[in-house]
Amino acid sequence: MESLLLGLTLLVTTPLVLAAVGGVSWGVLGGALPGISPSITMALVLPLTYGMEPGSAIVLLAATYVGAEYGGSIPAILINTPGTNAAAATVLDGYAMQRQGRGGEALGISLYSGVLGGLFGLTMLVVLTEPLARVALAFTPMAYFALGILGLSIIASLSGESLLKGLASGVLGLMVATVGSDPVSGVPRFVFGRPELLDGIAPILIMVGLFAVSELYQQASAAEWRKTAGAETRLRFPDGALRRRLIKPQILGATIGTLEGVMPGAGGTIASFMSYNEARRWSRHKEEFGHGSPEGVAAPETANNTVAATALVPVLSFGIPGSNSAAILLGGLLVHGLIPGPRLFEENADVVVALYTGLFVANLSLLFIGLLILPVCLWLVNRPKAYLMAFIYALIFSGVYSIDHSLFDVALVLVVGVAGVFMRLAGLPMLPAVLGVVLGYMIESNYRRSLVLSGGDHGIFIEDAIALGLLSTAMLFIAGSLTTRAYLFVRRRRRQSERAADG
Amino acid sequence: MTFRHRIYLAAVAALAAAPPCAAQTAYPHEVVTLVTHSSPGGGSDVFLRDLARYLGPVMGVKLVVENVRGGSGARAMARLANAPADGRIVYAVTPTYIYTSLLSHPVNNYKDLEPLVNVFFDEEIVYTRADGPLHTLADVIAAARSRRGRWGASTPASLERQALEQLKLAAGVQAAIVSHDGGGDLMLNVLNGTLEIGVGEAQEIRGQLAAGRLRVLAVFSAERVADLPDVPTVQESGYDLVLTKFRGLAGPKGLPDEIILAWELAIQQVLADPDYRNVYEAAMLSPAFMSHADYGPFIDDFASRTEAYLRRTGVLQ
Repeated sequence: MESLLLGLTLLVTTPLVLAAVGGVSWGVLGGALPGISPSITMALVLPLTYGMEPGSAIVLLAATYVGAEYGGSIPAILINTPGTNAAAATVLDGYAMQRQGRGGEALGISLYSGVLGGLFGLTMLVVLTEPLARVALAFTPMAYFALGILGLSIIASLSGESLLKGLASGVLGLMVATVGSDPVSGVPRFVFGRPELLDGIAPILIMVGLFAVSELYQQASAAEWRKTAGAETRLRFPDGALRRRLIKPQILGATIGTLEGVMPGAGGTIASFMSYNEARRWSRHKEEFGHGSPEGVAAPETANNTVAATALVPVLSFGIPGSNSAAILLGGLLVHGLIPGPRLFEENADVVVALYTGLFVANLSLLFIGLLILPVCLWLVNRPKAYLMAFIYALIFSGVYSIDHSLFDVALVLVVGVAGVFMRLAGLPMLPAVLGVVLGYMIESNYRRSLVLSGGDHGIFIEDAIALGLLSTAMLFIAGSLTTRAYLFVRRRRRQSERAADG
Repeated sequence: MTFRHRIYLAAVAALAAAPPCAAQTAYPHEVVTLVTHSSPGGGSDVFLRDLARYLGPVMGVKLVVENVRGGSGARAMARLANAPADGRIVYAVTPTYIYTSLLSHPVNNYKDLEPLVNVFFDEEIVYTRADGPLHTLADVIAAARSRRGRWGASTPASLERQALEQLKLAAGVQAAIVSHDGGGDLMLNVLNGTLEIGVGEAQEIRGQLAAGRLRVLAVFSAERVADLPDVPTVQESGYDLVLTKFRGLAGPKGLPDEIILAWELAIQQVLADPDYRNVYEAAMLSPAFMSHADYGPFIDDFASRTEAYLRRTGVLQ
């Protein structure tokens, strides 16, 4: 009660609202620009926070994070390019809806789900920080390895027609993830003398290359897009029936987002992929997934906005940043002399309350900012193709260049784009490769750390209860999807032979 | 007190403390770029931004922090090596730039830069879980004698890892030395009992230390730390190991003498500033000024010892 009063007082006496609304607007913009990741968006405002009072400074950073996590879905839906890592799963059904002329509907679903997810995550953050911190603490290297494997098992449902092609694409991703310094010895691997490759290839570069650049290459030789009719380009919020249908994927997204968010290193990308997978598994309209299912947009978008709030749990309670974005938030805390840890909640309670209040305002204002800018975005993507393509090219390359002021990154994205064209020609799905790049380092480093711990004995993965549980779940998933595929295969064969017999 | 107030007070204090000669010889540039390889909010970044706030008024220049990320310092070193040696650009160095030079064979390495002055040493400490069974470094060694120890260091190519490998050799025990992606991940694995001990910078764990969840067993410095008077050094515990995790500044090769002198004076002056002292003591940094004449040999010695270690352990062929 006291905190609530304090929160209300802070709202009217400090520039908290300004920081929250400003942060969200800036964040949506940064997140929506392909190539500019949430962490870059936050890094750009970080210097501004040095002179601010601590509460507003942290709110500005956290609100930027919220906005950026949402903003990533806009280009994912409209131009088949996730603006952030965590929006990658939204591409599947979001872009499919856009191609069917339902882009406005997809944007409405993603905004609606994102706001709900953000508010849910915030509630979890306020009410359950203590227990959630214990979840984060329980994760050993063995458990992180198992979590990564569980993440990889999703490849089965991202593969579309051919599991084999999905696996091949996933392996490509894992191979890319081995570039950079060895996680145990620190020896550089596959860097070809380029200092830019020492820290590995950022997943955002792979994503921009595979999705956006290869799409642009292909579009250059394709016919004019079909124009969407005027009525279809309006932003549309889900109606009553659809809202009811979205409840299940949203609950899945929020739950998975809460849990993944608190684990440093797991983060929004895995959360959105896993919740997409679960939404599909438990859906009554499985066949729609991949072909424009509203549930396929709602689940990952709820999840990644939930993560934007719960990712603060390890930052505030341990001072451990789970992602680059969280690292910048941590930097913001440290610059103001705020030391994360259990005592932060006692000694700097005013800052914590300001943060919670600010996040609440931020999530609400996200709704209004979305309503303001989405029609503009919709209008933009319905311009003549030549202009749009030139615009996207300019956006992407300025975005990629802005990350590290590196022309090498720009060249890398162009090369990955060529690889993307070949993958398209070969019918290899893109998302397993993205998943491989995102998870590769986490799986390898924790696998090898575990074996260093045990002296090379693989039994350590069974001794760790969480690892055992996650690995068994992954096994079940794989066995399940193999059985389904085998069943479908046999049925198709039988039909063919029956047809042959009839003929 | 707001930031504006602090800056104002710092400026006043600096003016009052400045010897007349230093005030008269103005620095030849109005803007000086401080380069760090760490990302915004990272260790070196926070160090530089704090320093810039207090050092700017002392030197009478505008200090701008620039993050040249990528390649753990490789890109920053290239940037410095190709910049004019006139004092307009300075790089914040830590052991990382030596490790990167040795391990990654970048185009430009530490030999292409001129060590300018040292500013701080980071306190490196050995810590364990507060509710765990270990109370002294001797307990840790004894435990590792009966059963393979589980020790942790922050990153693979780091001074902390090297220190633990040397401790293991010196004590003649078996221990798994697990490296992480940073001090935070390491701390989590010490807190959840996966690891028995961790070695890291005191500032990374101060939150948990203050909350009483972690216990410090030993410090790796040459002398006991003012903030932790009851904690023995590793040397006192019988192992001749001292870690000097330096934080200093370097510039392009061939800096003019008057530039070097200006930095030497300004750094000594800013370290004595009581307001800045509050800031760096809270971050558990120990002032360790080293003049240009001493810093070059110090860096060379550090590099050759690190190289010898890397060759001995087979990381470098």
